Amino acid sequence: MEVTDAAVVAQVLAGDRDAFRVLVDRHSRSIFRVIYRMTGNQQDTEELVQETFLRAYKSLERFELRANFSTWLYRIAVNRTLDFLSARKTHMQTKDTYQIVDQPYSEESNQVQLPTSTPGPDRLLLSSEMKQKIAGALGLLTPAERVAFTMRHMEGRSIEEISQTLNLKASAAKNSVFRAVQKLRQQLEPYAGPGSSTRGARWGGSAVK
Amino acid sequence: MNHLSEEQIVLHYYGDAEEASEVERHLAVCAECRAEFARVQSMLQRIEPLEVPEPALGFEEKTWLNLRDRLPEKGGFLQRLFGQQQKWALAGAMALLLVGAFLAGRFWPRPGQQIAQQPPAQVNPQRVVLVAVGDHLERSQMLLVEIMNTDAKGPINFSNEQAEARELLDSNHLYRVSSQQAGDPQVAHLLDQLGRVLAEIANGPAEVSPEDLQQVRHTIQSEGLLFKVRVVGSEVNSKVRRPELSGGSVNQRL
Repeated sequence: MEVTDAAVVAQVLAGDRDAFRVLVDRHSRSIFRVIYRMTGNQQDTEELVQETFLRAYKSLERFELRANFSTWLYRIAVNRTLDFLSARKTHMQTKDTYQIVDQPYSEESNQVQLPTSTPGPDRLLLSSEMKQKIAGALGLLTPAERVAFTMRHMEGRSIEEISQTLNLKASAAKNSVFRAVQKLRQQLEPYAGPGSSTRGARWGGSAVK
Repeated sequence: MNHLSEEQIVLHYYGDAEEASEVERHLAVCAECRAEFARVQSMLQRIEPLEVPEPALGFEEKTWLNLRDRLPEKGGFLQRLFGQQQKWALAGAMALLLVGAFLAGRFWPRPGQQIAQQPPAQVNPQRVVLVAVGDHLERSQMLLVEIMNTDAKGPINFSNEQAEARELLDSNHLYRVSSQQAGDPQVAHLLDQLGRVLAEIANGPAEVSPEDLQQVRHTIQSEGLLFKVRVVGSEVNSKVRRPELSGGSVNQRL
C-alpha cells in the first residue's frame, strides 16, 4: 500500500529530509503543468517548480496533516508564480514568449485585418497566427488577472478556490476574471470578424438588477 | 429596457453571475444581449489551455538533485517537543547563548593580565543582541551596496549574492525575534523589511537580467533600506562600544 502524503510529511518533520523526495517524485509534474500554463516558459517553470518545493519544505510545519497535500502545494505554486510574474512584469512585456500583439484594437485595424479575400474568422481563429494573438493578449494581462483567468478558464477552478488560493475576497476574484476577459476581448475581437461587439459604448452602463 | 452589463455576461458564461435566474430571464427576451453573450462565448471557447510540453525524462530526479542541498535540516525531536510557536523563542535563546559565549571569550581575562576590581559581570540581553545585530547589519549593508553598484549590461550570474542572501536570511529571522524579545521593535521592524528584500534576492533566478536587477534595486531604494541599515548599524555599533547608551530603542529617529 502506498504511503500517504501526510505520512511522508510527518516523516520529514521527524528529521528525515530525504523522505521529501517522495513528494517531489509524486507532485513535480502536476506542479510543472500548473506553473507552465501561467508562465508559458519552460525554463522559468522548472525553476519555479524547485522554488515551490523549497518553500513547501520550509513551511512544512504549517501544513495540517489532515489537509490535502497537493491542494496545499498547488496554492504555494500559484502564489510563487504570481510573485514571479509580478517581479518580472516589466521584463515580460518585451522578452517573454507572450509577445505584445502587433496591432491593438482600432476600427481601422479591424478593416485592414479582415479583407474579404482572407480566410473566414473561424479558420483564422484556429490558425497559429490567432494562437499567437491569444498568447500576446494573455501577455497584456496583469499577473493577478492572468493567474485568475488561467485558474478559472483553463483549469476550471471555482471562484471560491481562486479566492482561497490568492487570498482574495470572492468579489475581487470575480473581478480579476472579468477584467481579464474584458482585455482579451479588446485585443481579440478585432480579429473575430464582422460579428464583433458593437456595444462597446454601452459597457459599464446600466445593468439588469 | 436595461441590458445586461458586460460583467454580468462574462460571469454568466462561467456560471458565476449573481442573480443568475434574472440574467437567464433577460437573455430569453433580449436578442441583443443574447447575441452579445454568443460573441463572448465564441471568443472564450476558442481560448484553449496552453499546450504544456512534457518535462524531460528524469525531471523529478533533476528537481530533487537541485533541491536537496538547499533543504535545511528539520528539527526532529526538538521541533516536535517545542512546537512551531516556541521555535522562535528557542532560536532567540540560542542566539543569545552564542553571542554571550562570544563576548565571554572576548572579555575573559588572559593569563598575566591585570585583573581590575569590577562588579560581577551582568550580561545585558539587549546589548548581547546588539552585538550580533550590528555584525548582521554590516554584512547586509555590504551585500546591498554590492547589488546597488553592480554594473549589468546583460544577464549576470547572481548565485554568490543569492547564497549570501540565503545565509543572511536565516540569521535575519533569528535576530528579528531576538530584537523583539530584547524590547527593540524598531530594529525588529527594520529586520522585517530587510528580510523581505533578502528573500526576494534569495528566491530569485540564479541568472538575472538588467531589468531584474533594476527591480531589486528599486525595492531597496523605495524603502530607503540601505540608508536605514547604515544608520541603525552605526547606532548599534556605537551602543556596543558605549554600553551606557544601550537603554531604549536604538532607532528612534527612523
